[in-house]
Amino acid sequence: MINHLHQQPSSPRRVVILGGSGFIGKTLAKRLRDAGTEVVALSSSDLNLTADDAPEKLARQLQPTDALVFASCLTPDKGKDIGTTMQNLAMGHHVATALEQSPVAHVIYISSDAVYADDVSLASETAKCEPASLYGMGHLMRERMMETAAASGDLPLFILRASLVYGNDDTHNSYGPNRFRRAAAEKGQIDLFGGGEETRDHIAIDDVCRLIEQALLHRSTGILNAATGVSTSFFDVATLVAEFADGDVKVNCSQRRNPVTHRKYDITNTLKAFPNFRFKTLREGVAECAKQAKQTGSLKAVA
Amino acid sequence: MGGVIGFAGLSHLGIVSSIATASKGFRVVAWDGSEILCDELTAGELPVHEPGLPELLEDCRGRIEFTADAERLHDCDVVVFSIDIPTSSANESDCSALDRLIDSVLPQLSPQSTLVVLSQVRPGYTRGLSERIHATPGFENTVVHYQVETLIFGRAVERAVSPERFMIGCADPAEPLPPAFQAMLEAFDCPLLPMRFESAELCKTAINLFLVASVSTTNTLSELCEGIGADWFEIAPALRLDKRIGPHAYLHPGLGLSGGNLERDLVTLTSLACQVGSDHGVIDAYVNNSVYRRDWVLRTLHEQLDTGRRKPQVAVWGLAYKPQTHSIKNSPSVALIEHLRAHHVAVYDPQAKFPGAPPRHVIMAETALDACRGADALIVMTPWPEFGSIDLQQAADQLNGSLVLDPLGCLDEATCRRLGLAYRKLGVNPLPKDLAA
Repeated sequence: MINHLHQQPSSPRRVVILGGSGFIGKTLAKRLRDAGTEVVALSSSDLNLTADDAPEKLARQLQPTDALVFASCLTPDKGKDIGTTMQNLAMGHHVATALEQSPVAHVIYISSDAVYADDVSLASETAKCEPASLYGMGHLMRERMMETAAASGDLPLFILRASLVYGNDDTHNSYGPNRFRRAAAEKGQIDLFGGGEETRDHIAIDDVCRLIEQALLHRSTGILNAATGVSTSFFDVATLVAEFADGDVKVNCSQRRNPVTHRKYDITNTLKAFPNFRFKTLREGVAECAKQAKQTGSLKAVA
Repeated sequence: MGGVIGFAGLSHLGIVSSIATASKGFRVVAWDGSEILCDELTAGELPVHEPGLPELLEDCRGRIEFTADAERLHDCDVVVFSIDIPTSSANESDCSALDRLIDSVLPQLSPQSTLVVLSQVRPGYTRGLSERIHATPGFENTVVHYQVETLIFGRAVERAVSPERFMIGCADPAEPLPPAFQAMLEAFDCPLLPMRFESAELCKTAINLFLVASVSTTNTLSELCEGIGADWFEIAPALRLDKRIGPHAYLHPGLGLSGGNLERDLVTLTSLACQVGSDHGVIDAYVNNSVYRRDWVLRTLHEQLDTGRRKPQVAVWGLAYKPQTHSIKNSPSVALIEHLRAHHVAVYDPQAKFPGAPPRHVIMAETALDACRGADALIVMTPWPEFGSIDLQQAADQLNGSLVLDPLGCLDEATCRRLGLAYRKLGVNPLPKDLAA
């Protein structure tokens, strides 16, 4: 259930973004600046959130009227080990400590659908949180840290659990539209696990940012999934990417090694919280990505 | 017919039960603390809408006395406590009003009267009450019973006059019932099942849990039907012919649980299970399924209605939580309308209204057809029988769009399709050939 402290939209005075050079943070910062909002986007080179002095440094940056978007995280492509997880937890600890020292007007934590149990096939925000991975466990712990900090400081907290986000500026290379587009451009072929039967919810980066913007404007509180409610098989995603790619692209299936799993999202809470929100269809999103890639001449290099 | 039967508390339950008892030939004293209510009832003005109730009252007016004077209960052989038990927004029962009623009325009663609790109470309540009454000087030997109420809004008269059975809670079921109470019950000519207080109190909840199980199973399967191209309405008749399921099973898909009573019972059962340490996982699943299913219309509207207009207009037929009632408590329609803030909404209901002014995005229409004027979609939220006889051609003429969401199947599907309306209901999606058309 999402509550809006501002029933009528009202822009925050300033938005501080942690993870300012990441996929979501960078795109969000650009969109907010384009809309005339003052933004302070901090990347790890500006402020190392894992460092011991991070709480003090961050607290000094924050003002009581700020909205803070915490989008900084080491994603699985940077490491799935305990050390990476501990760094993510250290970031969460330090941000929570900073918020206790220097409260802000609104906190948005960008989490992940990795917090849900793998066997959740219809996910709503009340689905059971039993992360199978350290990455998911790290996000769940950081959610709890933010909730603890928010409760002690009476700070409005909004948690957005992102499903599979795609867009040309993606710095990751996870299985899905982003990797498929690169593979299509570089090799003229897309390799699927098995027949690509699994269905997943792919959301465009712009839609994720628009959800964050809506939450900022309404100073929303609660937990929401960033998902479109439409699940598509990886085979269909690959076919769609191939359709919009230059030249012929082959979609290759392989022998299946893992059982097929599906996930769909119940987006009822999004429809209730933001009744005017309309998601891009996957076709629209993939077509836009292809068009932008052609305009800029190349796809973003994988970090 | 010997014996005078008293009723204390003229709620929906109390009014219907007292009139039904008088209709069986008993003299009835029906008491309530509200003089205005008693005057209205004496004048034949009923504050509740139940088919057949005005006629039943007319037939037995000579035998029933509505009074705000509690002393009139003193000479009754049986006194039935019959107020509605309110539930909180968390669906928890609150018996404190019943406690207060009994405490206030008890001094006026004869210790020889048999006291019967008809209000639905939590298991354990009546034994505690019985002990409390027996601790009252003069009432040490007063007999207390619990009677399971089976009122269904909209069908209350039929249920009260011709009950399927009586479930009677007793301190000791081996003891015979007091003669006047026995005579009253036998007048209804149905099976009589004496049982422990605790069994009777749980019995009503048990009945409701079985209903919830059927409703939830139906809803789960009907959604699956929509997903895989099956038709639930082809499956349901096969299930009804199975003796283990039966012809009267609740097999009609719905928008989750509504009305508050079933939800209250789930809360009660979960609380009891926690108290005694028994597993309630299945009850949690029923609650989750109900919450999920309730929003079918909102999700389907989102999927199907793409007008390109900034604020689409929708017509909603029905506001009451079910037909034949003006109650909107836990109404799926009200819940839906609350979340259609991005739409203009025109609502028509034959009886129900918002308690105050409707929300800003809502107007109340005078007629069902008025509600349709210019609407991009028609949504039928309460299956009032009269909606089934509305000329759909006229409705289609009023509509701007073609989407019709009729979750409970109130309208004639074939007619809707013939008129070019994009018809959707629970449990079945159109065949591909119909979609193509």
